[in-house]
Amino acid sequence: MLRPFRLLEPTTAMEASAELRRLGDQARVYAGGAELVLLMRHGILQTDYLVNVKGIPSLHGVTWDGTVARIGAATTHSQVERDPIVRQRLPTLAQSAGTIGNIRVRNQGTIGGNLCFADPHSDPEAPLLVHDAQVVLSCTAGERRLPVDDFLVGTFETAIQPDEILTGVEAEPLPTGFGQAFLRIERYHRPTVNVASGVRAAEGRIAEARLAVGCVGARTIRLRDLETRVTGLGVDEATRVGREYGPILTELLEPVDDLLGSAEYKIHVACVLLGRAIGEAAHTNEAAES
Amino acid sequence: MEASSEGIATLETVALQLTVNGRVWSGDVPVEEVLLDLLRRRLGLTGTKRSCESQVCGACTVLVDGAPTSSCSHLAFETNGKSVTTIEGLGSEDSPDPIQAAFIRHMGFQCGYCTSGQIMAAKGLLLHNSSPSQEEIADWMSGNICRCGCYAAIAAAIRDASTRTRRG
Repeated sequence: MLRPFRLLEPTTAMEASAELRRLGDQARVYAGGAELVLLMRHGILQTDYLVNVKGIPSLHGVTWDGTVARIGAATTHSQVERDPIVRQRLPTLAQSAGTIGNIRVRNQGTIGGNLCFADPHSDPEAPLLVHDAQVVLSCTAGERRLPVDDFLVGTFETAIQPDEILTGVEAEPLPTGFGQAFLRIERYHRPTVNVASGVRAAEGRIAEARLAVGCVGARTIRLRDLETRVTGLGVDEATRVGREYGPILTELLEPVDDLLGSAEYKIHVACVLLGRAIGEAAHTNEAAES
Repeated sequence: MEASSEGIATLETVALQLTVNGRVWSGDVPVEEVLLDLLRRRLGLTGTKRSCESQVCGACTVLVDGAPTSSCSHLAFETNGKSVTTIEGLGSEDSPDPIQAAFIRHMGFQCGYCTSGQIMAAKGLLLHNSSPSQEEIADWMSGNICRCGCYAAIAAAIRDASTRTRRG
């Protein structure tokens, strides 16, 4: 049994924000409950009020305006995985959504809830970082957009303000000429390491690269130093640089030993996946070109 | 319901109306009640099992508007206006669902505790994809744990049910 609480059902983001401001620490946002209900059941988190944002119509659905795909925060992982706009414009995001937990978790959890929970062992963040995606945050004072890279702060920590509601995620497709990949390994349905890549190769060389790695550090990060290092290299050389990036990756991510594996193991796997993700994205791109 | 001095209503209970196995049910339910307790305690539908209570094992799987759902971790208020199907709504002893019949033919169980969840997950799969590949079956069903280890028989039963259903 869950400890009793009271439920609020706002119908606009403004209303939800006003309630969060009024209730302060006593309230939590409910956007699907895939994580929250478990924390409440196991007594890790107690709350007096649950503010259900799933009743806010503007938080639902995926739209495409010709440049940007907008995914409502209350869109479930299953909906993200199957949505034709996401599959066509943000294919690695669709792929990552389809790997989360199990089918029941994907039917309940939402992209907004996932981002706000900020569990470092999560899949959508790496593709979102490669796409330079933004979150849309709303409160009674107005709306702001923040790159996902600035939104993610640390383990279970984001830059959202106490009275803000994450209403949506916005991302553009990768520019013309980019190939992409999303690779992961898991243990008991929790990702141990995931890697997302976007690579533009021309005449066998890396012209541009975007790389992200998740689950190993406190949050999913873009590897801007590695992106610079591989730019200009031949594809085989670039994959080798990725595979041998372990010492720097260890400094960047400060991995720890846990039930998913030792720090050394996780860095080893991350480097293997980085090498593959660079190669796969480059070859996807070259296959598309030829 | 309590109307606070300012702001919107804060609810302790919700008036729910939903369809369970084809029949309309309505009543007031505490907002913290999970669907599993609504089904087992209020409706007496004990075919749906409580196990890990963490969305890991799948023993409590039911369909909400056709989608497999962990009833142990799904707040009941979310099912307002929706259609819930449990193992009791699938078939009877005289007229089992093709998936139930296939589980019996293939012995897709041993102790049986996970079976209603397995069958409801499989039902959700075949509603979503009437002709799943072996890989698609494995991926979809990977969230339903069978500690007796009947996985091969479960997968065979689902393939069989899929083939027979398509043949009509």
